[in-house]
Amino acid sequence: MDMKYAFFSITALAFASGTVSAQEVPETLDLNNPDLVFVDDSVIPIPLEIFASLDKLGNQKWERYIISRPIDVDTNRSRTAMLFGLVVSEGFIAVQAKDKEAVKRVGRDVLRLSEPLGVSGSVEAHANSIINNASRSDWDAVRAELDSTRQTVINRMEQQRDTELVALVSLGGWLGGTEALAAVIKENYSEEGSDLLNQLDLVRQLNSDFNALPRRARRGEIFTRVGQTLDHLEALMQRDESGAISEGKVIEISLATSNLVEAIYES
Amino acid sequence: MRADLFSLPIALALVLPFPVLVFAQGTDAGSEAGSTDESAEASQAPEPLNDIKLLAQAAALPSLKGEDKFILRESWWSGNIAPGKAKLIQVQLFRRNSYRFWLAAPNREAELNLNVYDSEGKLVPTESESFGGTNIVSITVQPELTGVYYVRLSLKTSLEQSQDWAVIYAYR
Repeated sequence: MDMKYAFFSITALAFASGTVSAQEVPETLDLNNPDLVFVDDSVIPIPLEIFASLDKLGNQKWERYIISRPIDVDTNRSRTAMLFGLVVSEGFIAVQAKDKEAVKRVGRDVLRLSEPLGVSGSVEAHANSIINNASRSDWDAVRAELDSTRQTVINRMEQQRDTELVALVSLGGWLGGTEALAAVIKENYSEEGSDLLNQLDLVRQLNSDFNALPRRARRGEIFTRVGQTLDHLEALMQRDESGAISEGKVIEISLATSNLVEAIYES
Repeated sequence: MRADLFSLPIALALVLPFPVLVFAQGTDAGSEAGSTDESAEASQAPEPLNDIKLLAQAAALPSLKGEDKFILRESWWSGNIAPGKAKLIQVQLFRRNSYRFWLAAPNREAELNLNVYDSEGKLVPTESESFGGTNIVSITVQPELTGVYYVRLSLKTSLEQSQDWAVIYAYR
């Protein structure tokens, strides 16, 4: 493939190409302009994206953040969807820690949770691949397979018109990753690291998606608590005047996410 | 669509280390991928390959290898865009990471723009890469702050026909 690599600022690119008009690449956008066309669906970052940034601040002791919680599957598919997202995020933490046994457990849990969600046929191969690649310590392959599993489940749910469950899988995944992220930052607080918790727009979107779910999809006390925690996180995930998320807020985020994760597992 | 496009699915299925990646997640309102009226039984079958996504993935392959490789995300976007029009994709990016986005359209005459704006709507500096044509473009961005960004894709007026498109992305 003929690849011509060049470094440009966008301004320089527009200048150099000579074919890009100012209208085609504006220097600024008025994001409130009603004529802007946004692609409907947004993508929730996976924990590994965040952990990759965190690791650049120094080696983290990821093994300390693997929490093996027993899973009690009940008939509430909304809770199961959140558990699915949580378990996949646990898998990402286990990959960071290079903990074979934890990853294998995640592979088995993923398969178990996929049955009541009606997606086990699509997940089985992924689960086996997660377990086999963990046995070989092929962490790149496990990482790719976990993301692939998550995406396959979401695709299948959309096909099966279980769209409300899609939002809950994404929410569970984000919650599990945020619990670990906040715990790591709390353990060794720095203003630089706290920046990763600046996710106000994302948590607003997740909260909005959650509140848009039909009532039947968020039945039960646990989902009242999910809504309350998301409201609370909206207030916490904001930079202060120094541009950082304060240590106090990080502690509070850690506590709020950890309590909610515990409650979902135990409910 | 050019003939060489059709050979890509087979070639990539053999080359890609994670062939399941190609199972589509159509996310744009205009996308056909990912929306189906098939029965629940049929929905367990593998989803069709998306040729345009495969074009983007073929361009991405060199960046996904080596010591300082990017890690491709499973999530992607697709849709249809008219000449002279633009669309925005909202993404959450994290400081200290690098992100690379690839945008592809099937017609080799299509001229595409791909840019990133911050949460205030300001254009963000990026590195760009071309692939011997104008229908596949790639940019790399290193966000200075953690937060929401907007990826803007647009199709220049060099063509009269609207184009299907796909955007994939990776991080490191």
